[in-house]
Amino acid sequence: MSLVIENLTAQIPDRQILNGLNLTINPGEVHAIMGPNGSGKSTLSKVLSGHSDYEVTAGTVTLDGQNILDLEVDARARTGLFLAFQYPHEIPGVSNANFLRAALKARLPEGEDIDAVAFYKQLYTRMDQLEMDRSFTGRSVNEGFSGGEKKRNEILQLMMLEPKYAILDETDSGLDIDALKVVARGVNAMRSESRGFLLITHYQRLLDYIQPDIVHVLMDGQIVLTGGKDLALKLEEKGYDWVKDEVLATA
Amino acid sequence: MPDTLTAPASLATTAPTPSADLPQWFAERATTAWTTFDSLPIPGIKDEHWRYSNAKRLDPAAFHRATPAPESAEAEAVASSIGLSDTAARLIFVNDQLVQSDTHALPEGVICETLTDALIKHPEVVQQHFMQREAALGSAKFAALHLAHVQAGIVVIVPKNVVVENPIEVFHWVATENAAIFPHTLIVAGDNASVTVVDHYRTLGEIPAFSCAVADFVAQPGGRITYAHCQELGNAATALHLSSTSAHRDSQIKSFQVQLGAAFSRSESISDLLGQGSRSDMISISLPTASQVVDQRTLQHHAAPHTGSDLLYKNALYDTSRTIFAGLITVDEGAHFTDAYQTCRNLINSEEAEANSMPGLEINADQVKCSHGSTSSPVSDEELFYLKARGINDHDSRKLIVQGFLEDTLSRLDHEPLRHLIEQRIESKLASIA
Amino acid sequence: MVTALDNDITDIKADNIGDFTFPERNKFDAGFGVSPRTVDYISDVKNDPDWIREFRHKALEIFNSKPMPTHWATKDLDNIHFEEFRYYLSDGQKPKRSWDEVPEDVKRTFERLGIPEQERKFLAGVEAQYDSEAAYSNVKKVLEDQGVIFVNSTEGLHKYPEIFRPWFGKVIPTSDNKFSALNSAVFSGGSFIYVPKGVKVSHPLQAYFRINSEQFGQFERTLIIADEGSEIMYMEGCTAPKFETSTLHSAVVELVAMKGAKIQYVTVQNWSSNVFNLVTKRGIAHEDAEVRWIDCNIGSRLTMKYPGVIMKGKRARGEVISIALANSGQHQDTGAKMIHLADDTTSNVVWKSISIGEGRSTYRGQVHIPKHLKGCKNNTECDALLINSSSRTDTYPAISVKGNKHATQHEASVSQVSEDQIFYLMQRGLTEAEAMSLSVNGFINDLVKEFPMEYSVELKRLIDLEMEGSVG
Repeated sequence: MSLVIENLTAQIPDRQILNGLNLTINPGEVHAIMGPNGSGKSTLSKVLSGHSDYEVTAGTVTLDGQNILDLEVDARARTGLFLAFQYPHEIPGVSNANFLRAALKARLPEGEDIDAVAFYKQLYTRMDQLEMDRSFTGRSVNEGFSGGEKKRNEILQLMMLEPKYAILDETDSGLDIDALKVVARGVNAMRSESRGFLLITHYQRLLDYIQPDIVHVLMDGQIVLTGGKDLALKLEEKGYDWVKDEVLATA
Repeated sequence: MPDTLTAPASLATTAPTPSADLPQWFAERATTAWTTFDSLPIPGIKDEHWRYSNAKRLDPAAFHRATPAPESAEAEAVASSIGLSDTAARLIFVNDQLVQSDTHALPEGVICETLTDALIKHPEVVQQHFMQREAALGSAKFAALHLAHVQAGIVVIVPKNVVVENPIEVFHWVATENAAIFPHTLIVAGDNASVTVVDHYRTLGEIPAFSCAVADFVAQPGGRITYAHCQELGNAATALHLSSTSAHRDSQIKSFQVQLGAAFSRSESISDLLGQGSRSDMISISLPTASQVVDQRTLQHHAAPHTGSDLLYKNALYDTSRTIFAGLITVDEGAHFTDAYQTCRNLINSEEAEANSMPGLEINADQVKCSHGSTSSPVSDEELFYLKARGINDHDSRKLIVQGFLEDTLSRLDHEPLRHLIEQRIESKLASIA
Repeated sequence: MVTALDNDITDIKADNIGDFTFPERNKFDAGFGVSPRTVDYISDVKNDPDWIREFRHKALEIFNSKPMPTHWATKDLDNIHFEEFRYYLSDGQKPKRSWDEVPEDVKRTFERLGIPEQERKFLAGVEAQYDSEAAYSNVKKVLEDQGVIFVNSTEGLHKYPEIFRPWFGKVIPTSDNKFSALNSAVFSGGSFIYVPKGVKVSHPLQAYFRINSEQFGQFERTLIIADEGSEIMYMEGCTAPKFETSTLHSAVVELVAMKGAKIQYVTVQNWSSNVFNLVTKRGIAHEDAEVRWIDCNIGSRLTMKYPGVIMKGKRARGEVISIALANSGQHQDTGAKMIHLADDTTSNVVWKSISIGEGRSTYRGQVHIPKHLKGCKNNTECDALLINSSSRTDTYPAISVKGNKHATQHEASVSQVSEDQIFYLMQRGLTEAEAMSLSVNGFINDLVKEFPMEYSVELKRLIDLEMEGSVG
């Protein structure tokens, strides 16, 4: 039981962006993927969640044994894959609460509905953990939210939907240190033996607050280096050029 | 009392005879146009294209075709033709006669001729582009009248890759009471060519007169045309300006309209965005005073995907003046990824002025971004108070506010001397407002 | 439980809640076409007073003399063949005050449409019209005791001529347009409401207009008078079965809000796609009065409806809140007309349309502020949402402002539900259809809030039904 990515190759019309990427995330593990700009980090999250801009030309992705590449975006999500977006979209007129109810209901068998009382109890608990004001339930999804509020809202959805595997795409970007701490607290609260995480980040800073088990370096659409959390520190200190030399040396 | 025996015949009754020197096709079109003109009625008030307006203001029976003006009048017109200091070419017409022409600064290969000369020397190019677009915004009758009479005006053809840095400037004067002129402007910018043309329309003195102008703009792939038309006819005159733009792939056309004179001025501007990546900017300024009427009709027609158009019309109204704006954006089926904007703003400076706005959208495609907005409002009391609190008197404060109101139109004109010239013309009109 | 009557229902297609019909059992049928004889027939059946009979005949002349407005409106109007409709159908029974007395087929019709249930839950009074005449009409006793009159138009003109006659045909003159003339010639049914001075009716009154018969034209006529300082909310619903032939619905609705009164008129129309719905609606707002039209147009082949407010007294307010949903084969041509005739009057128009498949939505508006007035304000917002690549929308406002003491603004936009928005929602597990439905509901959410709670739930359901099959 794990999220297994094998030889994943994907492209946009003019350019290949992922070049045979391999990665296995087991439940309970927190992986971090770091890499310079343009290395394919954000593409990986989009491809895994099924964005139509990208074409998968080779490789497989299985979630607990099920091939997810043939599934539509929503069906993939319902297998237990969650993406916290780098740029969360604004949905005018749709309130946060209604949106979450609709998303939770979509996971129930046809005809069943969620228990409203339990739902709000859970929602308020989670919002308190993220220091979100109650008024957010009535506001349109992400509309008029500050950058930090949007990221908190992503984590709130993660907490409510309780996926098996969560991908956090540059969740730290644009956050001040206080907001980052709140977001990290939310994520850490969700860490469990039954849930795997993939943190995609450009900066080591996030990893001070969410400690990864395994760190990967992504370059040119491939994972070129894998190590423990020390690797992130080394990267911070020596820069990505160091990785290039390292890779060349071992090649 | 005028001598009725020698009075020239009115436009409504005399069929013009095209000159024998002109190509056969042109003579035929002119003759057919006369029949068309004669058969079409003057549009009535129920005609949607004339809503809030009155086509009787353009009654051809009130005017005769201009004949050459006395030399003294020509000399006065030439002396008064003050415009840009650096031009690529400069032509002055008085009563539809070319009285001065200076084209020596034109880059090699650029054609800039009077319509008559161009018809003789470059008949194919003219035939291909001359008045090919139906006058779809209400003035089919008057377009036909123009075609039946036209001789004056210019044809500009810029070859591929040639950039004409300085503008071509043309003055059209009417010097005789009740005379009608028919100036034409045809601009063809070849692939990646670029040109700027300015037309001035003026009368010698406060005489009743009629300027019935038509302009055709064709921008070939990558071509750029900037066109300004500055209407400063006398306050007893009547102005009509019909323009059509054909924008091919990746071309850009910017058209500025400055309506300052005439008792009644009507403009109809059509932009056809025919090629992917083409863009049209349509900008207008009017400052009607007394009982002036400014009647403007526009069409932004998107026929290809990934095209853009942006229209900004601003009117500052005084006294008992009226403005009518009717604009339509149409997006054809398949013209996806269109960006089309249309804004009309009226600043009403008197209790008696009247602004009518009819912005319209017809959208038949997907993935488009279209919007229109229209506002009519007086000068805001807070703004006025703020300026006065800084010690500026009421008149100057209002003038500043009007200038501020017009600023975002002028700022779209990226040719510095031309912008300066238009600012000057506006300033001179503002100075005349009490 | 299946009864004999259930078997009588012809379920043509069950994708629409109103799509069923009962066999006709008319006692009175004016036959096909409209002529002076038709008018006399209707007048005879309804026992009209002479002035109404004359009013009808004069209206018929005006109707015959007016051309179709195809110079500005859609050419589809030419497909209306007036000789193919029947102009009056009824079973000859008087409206009942108890559902138990209503004939079984009619009662079942309205039960199926949920009317008796709504009445029990939240309505102050109900009138249910079946083809040309009301079958049921009842108002809560407490309102009756306060002097509120809520009857059908026939009863109104017979029993209360002193209130009815001074206002009837005054807000919308017979000659206003071809269809107001037709309605004036053959009108039957509709409501007459009078709310006395100072009476604030806390629960809505509702009328439901049901067409049961094929090749029929329904011409109800509604007149609502809210006397000084009173308040009333009126709601109308309408459905018809889907027939192969076309159906005509052409109502005239006149509202009069006296000094300080407030009238809210709520419509949720859900016509089948063979209905030509050509309706004239206008209100007069006197000093400090308010008239609000809250309008949702779903279904029909062609709807042409531009509710208007004439702001006749100082500080009067007029508002049109409008939602239009045009599916394939449908054209919603709707809008608003705001006529400012006094100082400091304010009007507001918020219009949103959704075009699905090959549906077409059109906004037409008119705002008129003459000179010699001061302090008038208009705000108009039009937003169109296109769902499919063949969907279409048009906007044709006309704003005329005289003088420098007024402010108007008009904004319009056209947009699509973006792919990114759909992707975001689908990543949270919603299907594409659910994501689309949620986005569309979000688009009109601010307007749906203007409808009474019970209607807004129904509205969302109707919209979801219409959205089905629009993605793929």
